[in-house]
Amino acid sequence: MVDPIFDYQFRLILIGDSTVGKSSLLKYFTEGKFAELSDPTVGVDFFARIIEVQDGTRIKLQLWDTAGQERFRSITKSYYRNSVGALLVYDVCNRSSFEHIPLWMMEAKRHIEPHRPVFALVGCKVDLVGNDNKNGAWREVSCEEARMFAEENGLHHVETSAKTGSNVEQAFILVAQEVYNRIQTGEYKVEDGWDGIKTGFNRPNGMDFNLLEAETVQSTCC
Amino acid sequence: MPSSDSEDFESADEGRSSPNKRERKKRLSSSNYSDNLESEQDNKKLEPVINKEASSIKENLPKDGWDDFDIEEESLPNNEPQKEETKASIVKPESSAAKKESQTSGWDDFDDWGNDNDNDIKEQPQKTKPQAQNIQEAPSSQQTSTKSDGWGWGWGVDSLLSTATAGISNLTTQVSQGISTVLETGIGAPDPEELARISAKNDTKPNSAEEKMISAETNHEQSNQSSATEGAFPFGSLLSGVTKFVETTGTKVIAGGLDTLETIGKKTMEVLQDGDPGLAKKRAMLGLDSGDKPVLSQVLREARAKADEEDQLREAKREAKAVHYETLFDDYEGLVHLEALEMLSKQVTIRIEERLRTDPDKRQDIKETLQQVAELCEMPDEEDEEEEEEVSEGASKGDALHERLQRATRDIGLKLQFQPLIKQYTEILTWLETDDPSITEKAVYKKAVSSLAQTTALCVELYHKTGEMLLVKSRRSTADEADALTQLTVVLTKHISDLATQFTEKLTSHATEDKDQVNNYITNVFLEAGNSSKYIENAFQLAIPIVQIGAV
Repeated sequence: MVDPIFDYQFRLILIGDSTVGKSSLLKYFTEGKFAELSDPTVGVDFFARIIEVQDGTRIKLQLWDTAGQERFRSITKSYYRNSVGALLVYDVCNRSSFEHIPLWMMEAKRHIEPHRPVFALVGCKVDLVGNDNKNGAWREVSCEEARMFAEENGLHHVETSAKTGSNVEQAFILVAQEVYNRIQTGEYKVEDGWDGIKTGFNRPNGMDFNLLEAETVQSTCC
Repeated sequence: MPSSDSEDFESADEGRSSPNKRERKKRLSSSNYSDNLESEQDNKKLEPVINKEASSIKENLPKDGWDDFDIEEESLPNNEPQKEETKASIVKPESSAAKKESQTSGWDDFDDWGNDNDNDIKEQPQKTKPQAQNIQEAPSSQQTSTKSDGWGWGWGVDSLLSTATAGISNLTTQVSQGISTVLETGIGAPDPEELARISAKNDTKPNSAEEKMISAETNHEQSNQSSATEGAFPFGSLLSGVTKFVETTGTKVIAGGLDTLETIGKKTMEVLQDGDPGLAKKRAMLGLDSGDKPVLSQVLREARAKADEEDQLREAKREAKAVHYETLFDDYEGLVHLEALEMLSKQVTIRIEERLRTDPDKRQDIKETLQQVAELCEMPDEEDEEEEEEVSEGASKGDALHERLQRATRDIGLKLQFQPLIKQYTEILTWLETDDPSITEKAVYKKAVSSLAQTTALCVELYHKTGEMLLVKSRRSTADEADALTQLTVVLTKHISDLATQFTEKLTSHATEDKDQVNNYITNVFLEAGNSSKYIENAFQLAIPIVQIGAV
């Protein structure tokens, strides 16, 4: 088992059409493994991993892997509320999965309110593109197109492969770092009754208070 | 304004006195040659220097909204009126209080100054306009003061400087005096502090006299706006006076400081040796005398023992964490499954309540149905039909558990995944059966706690998944579902208590000398098993609304 000491816990949720590769992405991220076949997710599954952000702060990512299947939609929407970050996952070889991204984003925004989560647009299965087939005909969503959409909506964009492991870490670190930055700027706070951000077990209680205090002092002197 | 600021200010003063002098001379001459009409222009020329100076003494200049002219006028003169009035006794109501203070010491001056600055800023809008329009016209009293600011700023800073330096010398004397008082001047040597103080006094006097003279002169200059030559003379002499004064004070501070240090050193030795000639006792106390080898190794041994002890303590803490049930339960995702189940349960409860509200005609019916389901979900009495259906002979314990689970949930209409639970149970059984004498009772205890936590997490997950699947099930059969979940709960809680029993048996069978510790472990295992049952019961309760909503 990993070292249980961490400073913060962030709850991230993965959403997107079924079979785009949410569970595979998480499996690779948490276990470093890729399974060719996997069962469709029932409701929601959980993964966890501890990472470090730039200043060395240890963050436990609690990852909620939602079912993409339509029939679970009514259930999965009850799980959004306590998330501080949402990964909008699509399959670069599946046009409609990308076209549904705005819907997923709207749904997430609506259910996470009043909190404003960090979003990331994550394309999956890039290993299928231009690997065995020379012309890359399998790709149905171009990187530029996705990037443009991401820019328009203020999202981070990354293309990954859970098979080769390409960019998988970055996708999660990107979101974690952004959440952490927003904590630093005071936009996000640890709140009672909201589990998006929690402090770790080993964190002394006074810590956050000090952080906050230091910030106010800074703002008044400048 | 905090006192640290005034400290900064003062030290900056000392260091910068001579460049200031030059700057000032330059400025002075330029303003002297200029006509009154051109004073505005001149002020603009001076502005960069002024700004630099102002910022170096940590004053916050108002940078926005004001034109250059304003800034300069506020930033510089605002320290003057006070000082000027102090010496020349011009009464200005708003700073009269400050005036008194500024006479007592150079420190307070600075504080007041900051405040006055604010006042000046507020006043400024009214002042500026008339001045710009009719500089040459016969001024009102207020205007006179404003105008004189343009001239008087140079000496204003100077007098501030001298006051500040006087403040230093006072302080220095006071400090050294204080020290000598503490030490009760036990040395026969001539007292340097006393000498320093006397000479400082002598030096301060002429200086303040000079200052007075200058103030008077400047005052004079102010009132009739006279020629350039008159202005130039006092400034030069004042500046040289200040520089000289700063130099002498600096030397005195250093010399006085060294003397003071020497006194402190001497006195310290005296005190240390008092009643302990040759410091024999103190050396012994500090262990400086007994520096032989055996003692050194003794010290090292002790240090080693201490380090070992600390290591053990840390290890113990880590271990305590490792056998912490809640942490383990969380690590096995039990907590988050419970939380997710709770989310679902709440959502469903809201839907049920909504239905009750929106359908008043059927409200009674719905309530009855809900009640019926709740009754179906009541846990059977402990001894009720226990062991009635014994599992087939020869089956392993794992298979037996599987069979019981299957039988309990056969009517639920879902395909539930019991495999993780069975697999984990089988692993536990294998571990329990290995008869390794090297396994300590502590290890057994740890395994017991972690097994209970993991089993409980898997059970909670089972409820969560069952709940999710029930919610998306197309055809609901509430009665069967309620019954199945109830049976499941019975089987699972029994499973937990079985586990606990098996682990405690293992602990009891362990031949050990520390009976108390083993008993302690056994108690804890049962305690955690009770915890597990509570979690399972809790999950079951959360699942009830999910069953209920199928019926309404």
